[in-house]
Amino acid sequence: MNTAARTFSLLTWLLLAGCGQSNSGTTPTSNSSPAALSKVPVGIAVAQTSNVALLGQEEVAGAKIAERYFNQRGGINGTPIKLVFQDTGGDEAGTINAFQTLITKNKVVGIVGPTLSQQAFAADPVAERAKVPVLGPSNTAKGIPQIGEYVARVSAPISVVAPNAVEAALKINSKIKRVAVFYAQNDAFSKSETEIFQQTVKQRGLELVTVQKFQTTDTDFQTQATNGINAKPDLVIISGLAADGGNLVRQLRELGYKGQIIGGNGLNTSNIFPVCKTLCDRILIAQAYSPEYKSKINTAFRSAYRDQYKKEPPQFSAQTFAAVQVFVEALQQVNQKTKINELPLAELRAKLNQQLLTGKYNTPLGEISFTPEGEVVQKAFYVAQIKMDADGSNGKFVFLK
Amino acid sequence: MADFFSTYGFLLVSMLLGAMLGLSLYLPLMAGQLSLASPGFYALGGYTAAILSTKVFQMSGSLFPLPLLVVEMLVAGVVCGILGLMVGIPALRLRGIYLAIATIAFVEVLRVLSLNLEITGGAVGIFGIPQPFQTPIEYLWIVLPLLLLSAWFVYRLERIRVGRAFTAIREDELAADAMGINPTYHKVLAFTLGAILAGVVGAVSAHFLNTWNARQGTFDASIIYLTFVLIGGSRTWAGPVLGGVAFTALPEVLRAIADTSGLPLWLGQFLRDGRLIIFGLLIVAGTIFFPQGLVTPALLRRKRQPFSK
Repeated sequence: MNTAARTFSLLTWLLLAGCGQSNSGTTPTSNSSPAALSKVPVGIAVAQTSNVALLGQEEVAGAKIAERYFNQRGGINGTPIKLVFQDTGGDEAGTINAFQTLITKNKVVGIVGPTLSQQAFAADPVAERAKVPVLGPSNTAKGIPQIGEYVARVSAPISVVAPNAVEAALKINSKIKRVAVFYAQNDAFSKSETEIFQQTVKQRGLELVTVQKFQTTDTDFQTQATNGINAKPDLVIISGLAADGGNLVRQLRELGYKGQIIGGNGLNTSNIFPVCKTLCDRILIAQAYSPEYKSKINTAFRSAYRDQYKKEPPQFSAQTFAAVQVFVEALQQVNQKTKINELPLAELRAKLNQQLLTGKYNTPLGEISFTPEGEVVQKAFYVAQIKMDADGSNGKFVFLK
Repeated sequence: MADFFSTYGFLLVSMLLGAMLGLSLYLPLMAGQLSLASPGFYALGGYTAAILSTKVFQMSGSLFPLPLLVVEMLVAGVVCGILGLMVGIPALRLRGIYLAIATIAFVEVLRVLSLNLEITGGAVGIFGIPQPFQTPIEYLWIVLPLLLLSAWFVYRLERIRVGRAFTAIREDELAADAMGINPTYHKVLAFTLGAILAGVVGAVSAHFLNTWNARQGTFDASIIYLTFVLIGGSRTWAGPVLGGVAFTALPEVLRAIADTSGLPLWLGQFLRDGRLIIFGLLIVAGTIFFPQGLVTPALLRRKRQPFSK
């Protein structure tokens, strides 16, 4: 046998060994027999690698804090939960594979994930067919809860969050009339967000003077910025991601724009501070989460996060924490009616799904509940304004009252 | 066993789809044309199927009728074939790396178009594509015959006049021209065949993935398909098939190995988070130690020799 053939057979062997590999040791039960769990497995399928990992890692952080927090408080009436992480990567096929592994190999009772809405459109139907409840921690596109009975989300859709920023801008300056809108046309989130912004602008009777498009990979925004400024806006609304959004803000200010700027959810991160430095100042951003929200659970979550990462918890971490919390509290409810240890896995999943849609949850995001379809109903939203230090090296989000 | 198939059904089908995408890139390579356009046609085929199944064919039952899927595959093949001709004739005047760049540009043009058109659903794409089967594994009914058919087609192609002409052009275009082979005709033919195959695969994939968007068939995908062919072997049909199968499975195999109980924690963690690093290392190692790919015609011949003696 020559080397090529040897490597080939080695590769085949690896393939077989890998695929034939059975359970990872959680619960070797089939779907029909009682689950008899020593730990209740909950799946977390988010993007831990690829270019979406920046968001996925924040979600992992939130989930891990939630696991520790709820297990310290006795888990599900004495039975601890166990989070099973499967990386989805940034693509659709990887997400489906992660979901399949969680459902059939890890035998989880429910799944928190995936990170992107596009991944949700690919993988949520898989969970729906297997009748496993899914909670989206950060899927905000239109049509997610409508995928099926078993699909719900804790992330409020953009259509609910975004208009709050426009309200806040009008509160600061009621003379605003002319609005210029900028958006990244190659980003799904930015594209749906800008539609909501444009709709809100029209509903409020403001004048939409120009709509400019850019790409998230662009660095030079002179053309768009000049066109925008020429339309003489009193308010600029930007839907993009951190790097491009930050650069666009900087170039708008450098070219002399003085008015108010609203940033979309993509700019909702401290990663833009190094990009636009002092020029980031005064950007308004609407949020689904505020670290300053006063409640027992948020204080606990915030201090746990700060202890570990030495900064304020971001929205995605809070949302993932909330998603795990919803599963835990719904499981506790189910457990009060019938012991979850005695339920067959399939029945437990079905009962959990029914239960979680009817409950009310006091999460770090504030009080949330669900519509029968699985859409989140969130009580409070927040608007933050960026305040930069004089030297532009550091800044913070100040929440407006 | 049932558990195995429900966990890996999706993966098994993706492996076969990967093999066919490898073949679609191998076809122009048979005539020596380094074209990275396959993902573009793959995306186009997917959009064709997605639009047809969500907007044109109004469905009543819970499962999408199989004949309509076949119709979609045919339509996707025809659309991609026509576009392949239109793009191929001017683009194939370019050679080597310039052709590669032109085809990358083509993929990019398609991507930007699909981001901006109303009918393709912009960046969110098209979702809720109806399913012809209950479980992913049943897609084998479509994918397996398709792979066998395309592999047999390419296998035969390597042995008939047209295929020999491809090889002649690959080895020396001037000499081939001097022998009376029409290089333009053969190059465009190879390119169009690759385009049709990629389009048909795209049509199946759109149903298979439940959704279709502009993130499918990007430049990244081009490189991965090229890996299938380069590591698998670019001189015989078995190369891209093996490459496509192995490299689609690899990330998932590493995931399965990482989940093995009894592994040290750090190793499991590395296998899980470092999957892409391992993937990259294997590609580098592959190109260094197997510049001709894992499967070479010589390897296939050597296997046959004991029988002929």
